[in-house]
Amino acid sequence: MALFHNYYDSASIVLFGIGLATLMLNKNLIKKIIGMNIMDTSVFLFLVSKGYIAGRNAPIITDRYEGVTAYVNPIPSALILTGIVVAVSVTAFLLALTIKLYETYGTVDLEEILKVKGDDHEVNNQSSLD
Amino acid sequence: MNDLILKNIVKFITPCIQLFGIYIILYGHISPGGGFSGGTIIASSLILQHITFGRSSVHTIFRKDRALKLIGFSLILYSLMKGYSFLSSQFHFPHPPTGVPGSLLSGGFILPLNILIGIIVSCTIYIIFTLFANE
Amino acid sequence: MKLITSLPLIEILILFISAFLMPFVRKNKNIKIVSVTALTFSFILSVVIVINVLQNGAFYFNTGYIDTILGIQLYIGPVESLLNSLFLFVIILVACFSFFTIDSEIRENRIKLFYIMVNLLSASILGVIFTNDIFNGYVFIEVAALTSCGIVVVKETQDNIKAALKYLIMSTIGSGLILMGIAFIYSFTGHLNIDLIHQAILEDYTQYQKALLITIALFTSGLGVKSAMFPLHTWLPDAHSTAPTASSALLSAIVLKPFAFFLIKIMYRMIGFDLVNQFNIITIILTLGCCGMLFGSLAAIFQKNIKRLIAYSSIAQMGYIFFGIGLGSPFGAAIAVYHMIGHAVTKSALFMCSGLMIEKTGYKTIDNYKGLGHEMPITFALFTLGAFSMIGIPIFPGFISKWYLSIECIHLNQLLLIFVVLASSLLNAVYYFPIIINGFFGIENLKNKEYHSKKVETQKLLPIAALILAMVLLGAFSKNILDFISPELH
Repeated sequence: MALFHNYYDSASIVLFGIGLATLMLNKNLIKKIIGMNIMDTSVFLFLVSKGYIAGRNAPIITDRYEGVTAYVNPIPSALILTGIVVAVSVTAFLLALTIKLYETYGTVDLEEILKVKGDDHEVNNQSSLD
Repeated sequence: MNDLILKNIVKFITPCIQLFGIYIILYGHISPGGGFSGGTIIASSLILQHITFGRSSVHTIFRKDRALKLIGFSLILYSLMKGYSFLSSQFHFPHPPTGVPGSLLSGGFILPLNILIGIIVSCTIYIIFTLFANE
Repeated sequence: MKLITSLPLIEILILFISAFLMPFVRKNKNIKIVSVTALTFSFILSVVIVINVLQNGAFYFNTGYIDTILGIQLYIGPVESLLNSLFLFVIILVACFSFFTIDSEIRENRIKLFYIMVNLLSASILGVIFTNDIFNGYVFIEVAALTSCGIVVVKETQDNIKAALKYLIMSTIGSGLILMGIAFIYSFTGHLNIDLIHQAILEDYTQYQKALLITIALFTSGLGVKSAMFPLHTWLPDAHSTAPTASSALLSAIVLKPFAFFLIKIMYRMIGFDLVNQFNIITIILTLGCCGMLFGSLAAIFQKNIKRLIAYSSIAQMGYIFFGIGLGSPFGAAIAVYHMIGHAVTKSALFMCSGLMIEKTGYKTIDNYKGLGHEMPITFALFTLGAFSMIGIPIFPGFISKWYLSIECIHLNQLLLIFVVLASSLLNAVYYFPIIINGFFGIENLKNKEYHSKKVETQKLLPIAALILAMVLLGAFSKNILDFISPELH
């Protein structure tokens, strides 16, 4: 029963599982990155639901201040904003690396990339990458 | 992209998007929004321009090296300002006036910090886009 | 007094601002100067902090208004101050070394990026060490993950990008787990400040035992990925062996440690010794530490590439740190911290020596290093000293941490663990001694080798020599250092 009472938590754990499974099981790098994003989103959902109190308003003072009991907890939302910024930058970095890999290997399939045995010698140091 | 309707609508809509982004940045401290959200909105208008009119239309005013310098400059200002606000209360240095809650010029450092974040984010998101847009 | 308590923040600010200044500097030479000047300033400030902590004890720094508890808080105790100044010392020397080697390893237009990354990385590492606020710690950990990935990928070879991608994906999973842990602990304590969480947990942890267990598990696995705990270490050998020499030295010596230290903070300051010992996770950490010690050394034996060999040795050495944490006693944690310091100094020196060897011989495999001790005696001698510390020859810090770990095992009545330490030491000897012996001795090996024929420039050797000297001093003054740091963890 507790599962249905805390449906935010349950949903976020399920999402986390989906994200982790996508990240681990898919060979395609782009899908892996999508899985990573789903995982991050589940954590955001989990944390932001901790600040939500049923029946209360967003902590924005429009006409008059209605006391502490009228508003939800804004701290988790503020934390999640930071988390989102971090996730955006990580995603951008990952995508940039994926593009570089695609330029050198010609595929985004991780298994095929790992099959290409990179030698220990200096690999084309002066590649045409920019 | 040689679609007449698209071009005309983008011409009309770009300033509106930018104005909306600037509004969100400026009112970030008294209403939902702020530097990051406003910055992404402005960046989205730049990306729209880039897609419809090609790279050159944005790059005439917004070169990559110049944007990087702008980001660096804003970051320095940001860290100086934020560092000052972190340190100043220890030494009882003067603080900017907080103003009347709810008015535009209130909240001390938050407004200038929001503007700086807006600049940084809009430049960064657009640069990230140019990394992936090959023509 | 107020000025001194705000020095940690000023240190971090100097490093960040210097990194943001670099885009405006044109010449690569000037960028190097800016970078190392900022690092030196921070180092001087860190020495002031150490002296202050010696005299007045630990202190807090609240950002913003003094008496608020909602703002970000920094805590600077003996351990933090010592780690801070020693890490900066190592970073400065590695940066000095990189002045002369980085040009040949990465492209010219990437040098600016490299030094921006180095300064951001050192700032974020200081943040992780100082912070007393777990969410702030998370942000700094993310910055450290991105920038450390950045200094791997500057080289831009095929292997390199592959390794960096692996590293970034793994460390993103780690950050996700850490954030989940933060969410859990926030949901039942309502605080983000480590001290306040500790109080809240002490008040009513009996209601939340399972949640607390999940939190510890999440933090352990998340930080374990980032600091290469045994089964989660798979990214490390690739990333550390393909990066430029200076990056490898930084990554292996510095970047692994703050995460392990953050784990100590979480375990022992946020949750508390008595509580942590009630959970089985501490035993799991101990077991994984043992596995890491043995597996890292075993894997290193079969490596042909010297950088991979040293990288696997890093996994083994991180095993010692987790071993110390997993003992579940204050002294164990103190030894873990001491081992962090000792390993930081030693491993950076080893990586820089191996970089010089690769540069001079042109080969990465250890088979080509036979008789090299005759050709480049000073470099090889320094390498030997570093390897001695790894193996655990007396006086060197490696020996001291192993010695105290064994003594602590006897105290805790876990005699079986001593054999693990011994076995790991022997395994260390198995892969370091052949390099040294083949380098210096053997008539076969020394044939056709001219003494001192591969001359290494003095400026490249000086940082390594300074690190080795610091290593010997750390070993010699180990008693004082342990006395300085252990009361903090009690």
